[in-house]
Amino acid sequence: MATETLSRAVRVDAFGLSHAGKVRSANEDHYAIMVLQRSIQLRSTNLQDTTILDRLRRPEVNILVVADGVGGAVGGKLASGVAVRTVVEYLAEAVGCVQDFDVDREQTFLDHLSRAVERGHERLKQMFQTQGGPATTLTMVTVVWPRAYVVHVGDSRGYFLRNGRLKQFTRDQTMGDYLVDIGAVTEQHAQKAGLYNVLSSAVGAELVPSVGVVDLEEGDTLLLCSDGLTKHVSNERIAELLGGSDPEAAVQALIDAALEGGGSDNVTVVVAKAVSE
Amino acid sequence: MIQKKVCMVGVFGTGKTSLVQRYIHSLFSAKYHSTVGVKIDRKQVRVGETDVNLLLWDVEGRTADQEIPASYLRGAHAVLLVADGTRRETVEQLFDLRELARSAAGDIPSIVALNKADLKDEWVLTAADTSKLITGGFHTLTTSAKTGEGVEDAFRWIATATMKDTLPAVQPQVRHGN
Repeated sequence: MATETLSRAVRVDAFGLSHAGKVRSANEDHYAIMVLQRSIQLRSTNLQDTTILDRLRRPEVNILVVADGVGGAVGGKLASGVAVRTVVEYLAEAVGCVQDFDVDREQTFLDHLSRAVERGHERLKQMFQTQGGPATTLTMVTVVWPRAYVVHVGDSRGYFLRNGRLKQFTRDQTMGDYLVDIGAVTEQHAQKAGLYNVLSSAVGAELVPSVGVVDLEEGDTLLLCSDGLTKHVSNERIAELLGGSDPEAAVQALIDAALEGGGSDNVTVVVAKAVSE
Repeated sequence: MIQKKVCMVGVFGTGKTSLVQRYIHSLFSAKYHSTVGVKIDRKQVRVGETDVNLLLWDVEGRTADQEIPASYLRGAHAVLLVADGTRRETVEQLFDLRELARSAAGDIPSIVALNKADLKDEWVLTAADTSKLITGGFHTLTTSAKTGEGVEDAFRWIATATMKDTLPAVQPQVRHGN
């Protein structure tokens, strides 16, 4: 995979924004976009063959995180902030591991990504030792082209757009989804009882991370978002707005659409596009 | 600990995710969710005196307009091929899928789970279908993610196969249609 990455020279452009929405006074969402890279720059040489540089170059690692805090305005904001910050800190500490990334060791790599989320969970549990303290969703996608590694907790979402088709690669972890899945309640009952608003897994509460992989193709667009987007904007509309070539414009358009749709919740959007260099 | 990557491969809707859910969480969901990409779960098992961490790669199903990316299968130590005993086409495609797995991961152990054994009235496989599989060199087991039938056996076979030079024996338990 690494060889393909280098020869195809695909760059991942990403942009993110977070907005409090039109109803809530505080924004409990956080996001981060990071790039980890080790590169060698050739200043001067009399070597005739400089292809060695291609072999020494490591793949760029792009990390995208979205977190949506729950537990009251102050607590939720704190929870999502602590979780994202802890993930960033952990990955910065483990940077050697990430930079030494090799496809044959990808399970170890995935374990590090999961561990980063667990570290955020432990930090929150230490800070708030009471039951029912603040918690947060967290959706993290780590792209080592062309592979996207996904660690997902809660009901923020990850999608990709390919050839105009939008596909959701995360599944909401709510009590509604869980109880409907096991046949304990009907969708109507879950809706009526508000079970889709109760997380079955969250960082800082009951943590059951879901781990996965998606192999991307050139031209794919990744979207990570909090539910402030998806409760107001349909998948069809999201696909339309993601279709352009500029991640920043897509992010702004999606935020605007969420606000036009009511803006009842904080809304956070991160868009990344794979483009040929 | 030893880690073994096991890929679940099959046509869409054959019950790959449900088999993993049954095996890991002892749960069954009647609601269908199509897998996008790969969902990865793990389970620690003991093979003889050795603890093995099974990394279960539940790969998105093959559809008419989407082949399974071979990249997902690279590095696999075994493949659990899943077919739906109520849909003959899912069995017919096993030969192709085995080739896909071999081209991506080499000659690794594989077993076929003929799933949805609980749907007795809709079962369409005949003795001819199953004997074609057996003569084609497939190891087969009948499974039901709903009742749990054969699920532990299938994964135990896979776990053992990843640790052995020779494949473990399998007792053919193939259900035939009326």
